[in-house]
Amino acid sequence: MKRAALFAAIVVLAWTAWDTGADPVRFVRGLPWIADFLRRMLPPDLRVLPAALLGAITTLEIALLGTAVAALLALPLGFLSARNVAAPAVFHPARATLNFFRSVDTLVYALIFVAAVGLGPFPGVLAVVAYTTTSLAKLYSEAIEGIERGPVDAITATGATRLQVLRYGVLPQVLPLFLSYVLYRLETNIRAATVLGFVGAGGIGFYLQTYLRMIDYPAASTVLLVTVVMVMVVDAVSSRLRARLV
Amino acid sequence: MIEVTGLRVVLPPDKAAVDGVDLIIRPGEFVVILGRSGAGKTTFLRAINRLTEPTAGEVRVGGRAVTGADPPTLRAIRRGIGMVFQQFNLVRRASVLDNVLAGRLGWAPPLPTLFGHFPAEDRRIAQECLAQVGLADFARRRADTLSGGEQQRVAIARALAQSPSVILADEPTASLDPALTGSIMDLLKMIRAQRGLTLVVSQHQLETALAYATRVIGFRRGRVVFDGPPAGLTPAVAATIYGEDPG
Repeated sequence: MKRAALFAAIVVLAWTAWDTGADPVRFVRGLPWIADFLRRMLPPDLRVLPAALLGAITTLEIALLGTAVAALLALPLGFLSARNVAAPAVFHPARATLNFFRSVDTLVYALIFVAAVGLGPFPGVLAVVAYTTTSLAKLYSEAIEGIERGPVDAITATGATRLQVLRYGVLPQVLPLFLSYVLYRLETNIRAATVLGFVGAGGIGFYLQTYLRMIDYPAASTVLLVTVVMVMVVDAVSSRLRARLV
Repeated sequence: MIEVTGLRVVLPPDKAAVDGVDLIIRPGEFVVILGRSGAGKTTFLRAINRLTEPTAGEVRVGGRAVTGADPPTLRAIRRGIGMVFQQFNLVRRASVLDNVLAGRLGWAPPLPTLFGHFPAEDRRIAQECLAQVGLADFARRRADTLSGGEQQRVAIARALAQSPSVILADEPTASLDPALTGSIMDLLKMIRAQRGLTLVVSQHQLETALAYATRVIGFRRGRVVFDGPPAGLTPAVAATIYGEDPG
């Protein structure tokens, strides 16, 4: 049984390697070109730094606004798709909807929203909202399903309404987790938003793509450096905040 | 007054945790429910305010039917019944005062409470209840920074904040250091004396029942096997309540 599975795995992987034209020799032959590419990126052209910084700020804005709106929109959805809070008639359709929308990536949403509302950062924000709302709602609902029953019983016993039970018995248990998930999503959204510009949805990705197309590698490398620094700074700040929450 | 008639509670899959109980508990009584674990004490208490839904029978508290009550009526009845749990059931991350304030949820206007707002009068009552359990200085501390005994006192303050006529306490000392049993039971006794409350406390310790109860009710396999004053708890009666199940 184990041998058969191993054999099947090897066959499948070998076939995928053949089908994708994966060829180590070709890769090694390409290495000098990568070196050449990197050499031509140096030194970075710092004259484009102001433009790159503006692009970075736009990217940050897209991620921040999109994540914040999604964090709120995901709240009702999270409760509706938690098994221990919502009625089965609500829970099942809510879960199915979340899984459906979550299977599409931010970049694909960006393509759709650029077509709908035109170029610029706004379709980028919409794309971040679309993906993040459903992915946060899923995380929220799992946090809600993991709560302790005891405090919920205690609040129910005081004669509280259903909403009061959610507010005083459930929310205090899950809020720190929610905040931590939101920060984590903010980190991944900044990364996702850096490429949104490739499809016309604004931010630093637009500059990277433009300079690469113009074969202006020194300028592109400045943009890349700004991107790396921005992502690292946000990651550091956010993970420090998250460490405090748990 | 708590009136229980023909109460049966079947827990999934098909355990009759409470199996035909008829009782009347009069105002001001200090009832200790005795029994081994699994005898149905917890389920009986939870059926009184319908935290666990009864399968059959009737429960009335203060003359109002709990069984069959619509949600607003049920909430109004629950508001008058404080409940204390074995595991305290505090919201750990919330402050001590916020935990006690939760006891006012049934009284305060509902909409503002959803935004964390309670009328000044409710805050005053919560502070007062906290003082009554001797923890006035702990108001701002996070609940999970307190010791077990202190947490149970906060839970008692939360129940008191409901201005209840009845307090149900489910093994309130079972998760505590045995040395603290007396202090928690003394506190309940003092509160009963000061406020004229009806107390129904489940316990598995015989000595505690003897020391505090005005009436002891013995449970075994979901049925009442003894009901009387502590003086009636002879060794033979204790054996009926605690004895090994045959087969």
